[in-house]
Amino acid sequence: MAVPTPDAVLLTPGGPPALPSLLVSDRRIRAQRFWRGARLWIPLGFLILMLFMCFVLPRVVTLPSPTNGTILDGNDALFTPGHWLGTNNVGVDTFSQIVYGGQVSFEIGAAVTAIGMIIGCAIGIPAGYLGGWADSLLSRILDVLLAFPALVLALAIAEGLGPSEVHEIWALSVFSIPTFGRLARASTLAVRDLPFMTAARLSGTRGWRIIVRHVIPNIAPGLVSFSLLGVGLTIILEGALDYLGWGIPLPEASWGQMIASGQNIMSAQPQYVLVPSLFLLVTVVALNMFGDALRERWGEA
Amino acid sequence: MARSPALRLVGRRLGAAVIVLWGVTLLTFIVMSTLPNDTAQTMLGLHATPAQVAALNKALGLNQPFWVRYWRWLVQALHGNLGTTLEGQSVNHELAIHLPVTLELLAYALVISVALAVVVAVLAARRPNGIADRISLSVSMIGLSASPLVVGIILVIVFAVQVGWFPVQSNGLGGGLGSFFVQGTLPAASLGFPLFAIYTRLLRADLVEQMQREDYIVTARAKGLSPWRVLIRHALRNSMFTLITVIGLNLGTLVSAAAIIEVLFSVPGVGSDLLTAIGNHDSALIEGIVFVFALITVAGNLAADLLYAVLDPRIRHGSTNS
Repeated sequence: MAVPTPDAVLLTPGGPPALPSLLVSDRRIRAQRFWRGARLWIPLGFLILMLFMCFVLPRVVTLPSPTNGTILDGNDALFTPGHWLGTNNVGVDTFSQIVYGGQVSFEIGAAVTAIGMIIGCAIGIPAGYLGGWADSLLSRILDVLLAFPALVLALAIAEGLGPSEVHEIWALSVFSIPTFGRLARASTLAVRDLPFMTAARLSGTRGWRIIVRHVIPNIAPGLVSFSLLGVGLTIILEGALDYLGWGIPLPEASWGQMIASGQNIMSAQPQYVLVPSLFLLVTVVALNMFGDALRERWGEA
Repeated sequence: MARSPALRLVGRRLGAAVIVLWGVTLLTFIVMSTLPNDTAQTMLGLHATPAQVAALNKALGLNQPFWVRYWRWLVQALHGNLGTTLEGQSVNHELAIHLPVTLELLAYALVISVALAVVVAVLAARRPNGIADRISLSVSMIGLSASPLVVGIILVIVFAVQVGWFPVQSNGLGGGLGSFFVQGTLPAASLGFPLFAIYTRLLRADLVEQMQREDYIVTARAKGLSPWRVLIRHALRNSMFTLITVIGLNLGTLVSAAAIIEVLFSVPGVGSDLLTAIGNHDSALIEGIVFVFALITVAGNLAADLLYAVLDPRIRHGSTNS
């Protein structure tokens, strides 16, 4: 994991806190505003570009096959005409592999995060809202899931169910569920006793209605900005699973599997392993920066 | 009987830890038994007759109902015996060989990352928004986003393939301190870099907050202490508590990362052992390793909780009221 980041870190402000200062020049304010915008739009723009590259480009332009190539085109260097990121030893185009592998990464990242958010909220919100024994029971369940080495569970599930994209999604959800659950519980606790909640209760609103109308809208911004970090984390883990050979079945392309096969020829042709590694790194950096920028605007989870 | 609140806290946390540990063993068992059970088939090979498979299943006790097997395992585990692997070795023995390797690697990674994080965070917190702060924030953003796998690959390409300072694969960490550093530095650095990012971010945020908010900082400044001294002797001391907590909380997740790094560098630790065990459907070994991982996680969390409560008087006060 990938080192899964503890919530505490994800929730510490990313940007430097604004220092209290009364005399700020006009220029400085403008510069601050500019960087604030840049911190949001640069990663967002990059992500949009990546999504476009992975999902729209292959439908518009005919790319070389990501699974087949001819050995005649094998071992093309970077920037070869027709294969601008080169080809691997059997002539499969690297850029196509990146595109199709990226599709898989984004799909799995989004699905795992969505599942984690929905089931995690279904556990965490009642736990935080109801308190008492329900909270104790649900929190212990989350604790067990968190204490369980996520990768082990994911690997065991992937091994047992066999490699496929859907199985990988379920395997990885095992760790996204408790993370979101704990966050949902903590944020529900934070809003539970605020005055507007008391007002809602006093005016006769009950149970589900309070949760749907009052709790969820208030904790949603925090959960959404956290979910971007979740997508990044999932993409990292997905890469690890593919790397270890328990992810997307061959011959389908995935970034982790590209890293694994590139590792064998690392000393002769480092680009095979570097290209997917860098795509993986930069994508996750963009997701994290975007999440940070959203938190800066929407406040803490 | 008037018991001290600290003792009561210890008792409560210990109870919760035991429950969580038990839950983990149960969950492992549930996962392992819902998966297709072809242990016997795997051991005997493709040409085994159904009768042979059934006989081996019986010999291994795999034909027993779930609760019977779980109960037997639990009783044995409580006696300190984690069972036997498919190859017929005791799981305890397997762990005794591989666990120290992983622990050494983790310890090395922790030492590197904490030491660097403290230095960088102090430099960054000295002038928030200054140049050191901005650099440290950017580097830690990369570290937070980098998986150990990617860090490992890049380190290998740079330091093993191009420069040649370290071996590409480290087979074993034994053989003296010098060999340990040669073999262990790249794996430890791959594990440590993401940790360094986490710790730096956290410590910096905490230091900045203390420097801006806490009264004792004002007092120390009013006494005329130099800014560095205030930062290091006063703020850092308090911020270390936060760091200790996170290190403890993080231990469990670290073991998963160690597994990947061990495969990448072919370090013979429990992580790579675990992956082999999963490939072989070696339930006893998987259960044993997961149990130890969970034990480390829970012990780390517990230690963090308790240390925090014992070291920081504000927390102790809080827990008396709750």
